[in-house]
Amino acid sequence: MSTDAPHEVRPAADTAAGRAPRKADDAGQPAHKGGLRRKGLSERNRPLWMLIPGGALMIIIIVVPLLLGIYMSVLNLDQYTLRKWISAPLIGAENFVEAVTDSPLLHAVWLSVSYSLLAMVVTLPLGIAAAVATQNAFKGRAVIRSVFLIPYVLPSFVVATVWRTMLQPGGIVDEALATVGIHVGLWLNGPQTFWTLVLVQIWASWPFIYLLALSGLQSVDHEVHEASALDGALWWNKLRYVIFPYLKGPLSLAFLIGMLHHINNFTLPFVLFGVPAPADVEVLPILTYVTSFQSFRFGLSAAMAFISLVLIAIPLFVYLRAVKLDDAETPGAKK
Amino acid sequence: MSTTTASRRSAPTVEVDRPGSHRQHEVLRLLPNPLLIFVLVFLGALVLIPVLYIFLASVNSDIGVANGEFWPSTVTFENYSKIWTSVGLATGLTNSVLVAGATAVVSAAMSVSTAFVLVRYSFRGRLSILRGLLALQSVPGTLMVLPVFVLFSSAATYLGIQVIGTQWGLFVTYLTFAMPFSTWVMVTYLRGLPKELEEAARIDGASNLGVLFRIILPLSWPGIVVSGIFAFLLGWNDVLFASVMTRPESQTAAVALQIFGASQEGGAIPYYGQMMAAALVCAAPVVILYLIFQRYLVGGLTAGGVK
Repeated sequence: MSTDAPHEVRPAADTAAGRAPRKADDAGQPAHKGGLRRKGLSERNRPLWMLIPGGALMIIIIVVPLLLGIYMSVLNLDQYTLRKWISAPLIGAENFVEAVTDSPLLHAVWLSVSYSLLAMVVTLPLGIAAAVATQNAFKGRAVIRSVFLIPYVLPSFVVATVWRTMLQPGGIVDEALATVGIHVGLWLNGPQTFWTLVLVQIWASWPFIYLLALSGLQSVDHEVHEASALDGALWWNKLRYVIFPYLKGPLSLAFLIGMLHHINNFTLPFVLFGVPAPADVEVLPILTYVTSFQSFRFGLSAAMAFISLVLIAIPLFVYLRAVKLDDAETPGAKK
Repeated sequence: MSTTTASRRSAPTVEVDRPGSHRQHEVLRLLPNPLLIFVLVFLGALVLIPVLYIFLASVNSDIGVANGEFWPSTVTFENYSKIWTSVGLATGLTNSVLVAGATAVVSAAMSVSTAFVLVRYSFRGRLSILRGLLALQSVPGTLMVLPVFVLFSSAATYLGIQVIGTQWGLFVTYLTFAMPFSTWVMVTYLRGLPKELEEAARIDGASNLGVLFRIILPLSWPGIVVSGIFAFLLGWNDVLFASVMTRPESQTAAVALQIFGASQEGGAIPYYGQMMAAALVCAAPVVILYLIFQRYLVGGLTAGGVK
């Protein structure tokens, strides 16, 4: 059964340095009979050259700059030395020390993480409620589904521009709140900016949770609905004990991706508040950007970017472990 | 509540269960009616009020917007004729269409051939590439923008190739950053295609390229369109790279709007009407694309699981 698959796959696991042996296992999963014949065909004549254009591009524009970025983080790089960065003075870990001890970096990390989590905590119930509400057919459901996705398809810079206008002092939001007697104060300056960012992010990103929750709901077999109807389960109990367990998988995925997306979101705070941003919305991407393109401390900024990469690696790692790279229908297991 | 549960309990014994029947919908229902209506109205209003506001503000006077009017007191459409020069949308949209369009076409073409190899052949490092594709989707742009900028300016210094400030620099950057996701979308799509046709073609003596062009391409148009659209959106929506790597004449619409918005700070009443009109014009192509291809796009989104 699994005689030929390891032959094809194990070298892959071996060549990728530092990868855990576990990878060899999930690579070497189901193999089907007839593998020998098929493998013979595909090994003789594989158009691997087709990988070259994309691979070259990614090496030149992603891998090389990544390494370059790491190198830059140990240089004393400013607007004078940038042109000849190759000969810029090496200063070792100084940038990292400065980033951690003498820059708003830790504050930015805290802001980024708390803002991402807060936005996520609110978008989850919103998205689930939307998915649950549009689960059964009714007239106009197609329209409602399209409407629900609008915030998500609007470009971030448009969303930010629009909210920036709506949240101007004396603007539409203030007017509307004033009619019910609420006076919030400044949205786009000062300490409340953090909450503004959270709110706008929620507005823009709950449909993503909705989408993934919907895909989870669609995986619920009709028999399950039948059974709980037969049991006469109350709607709340049905949701809680029958439906929600199906959402766990897709929503964990949504949580991870959403967190990554919030933490990486540059456009929303950048367009919403402009730079220099108020101190309470100086999230990681903004801080990194401002440090390079406003203060011209390129080395310091590279160090900050490196630190944020480490931060992002945590959810990313969990995500990569969770996603199934292969299914039974792929070459490692091919007929 | 008790009546509905009671009727549900008795229903299956009496009625024949036909798909699409009224009872079928009852079984699928997860919320009681009042709550359902509340959720739909609340979320619908949450989305539609700001969207409606964009349009209303774009035909309003700047003072009207500044005073917090929802319904314009004076209606004028002249904002829509001003934005082409004042915001620079004429240049911006041309550049956006050129750069994002080229990105979409090239990345779709490259990702289908890459995905074809990744899905249909086995070779060393295949899984590493798949994993790499997922990882690269999450590399933050802010991490890359400085080194890419330095790389491009070094290309000018050492090789004499001027990339910064041209549309080419943006195109290459967007293409690269679109590739991981576009390829992943194609990988999930191609996996869903039956292998029998390909095998039949191979028995008839088709080469690898023959299989790709004659069998895979015609079958995978929906996937190609989706991966192309995602690449297009990446270019269209980007502000970060475009704000660093463009000059006024190579600016994209996103940067034009951002700069226009930022320049309105302080002083007289900002040109809110023009900002909203420009925002609407920038959003329109995206929303239209999405409405046309909604079914495929939603599938692609959940498959790739990334914006």
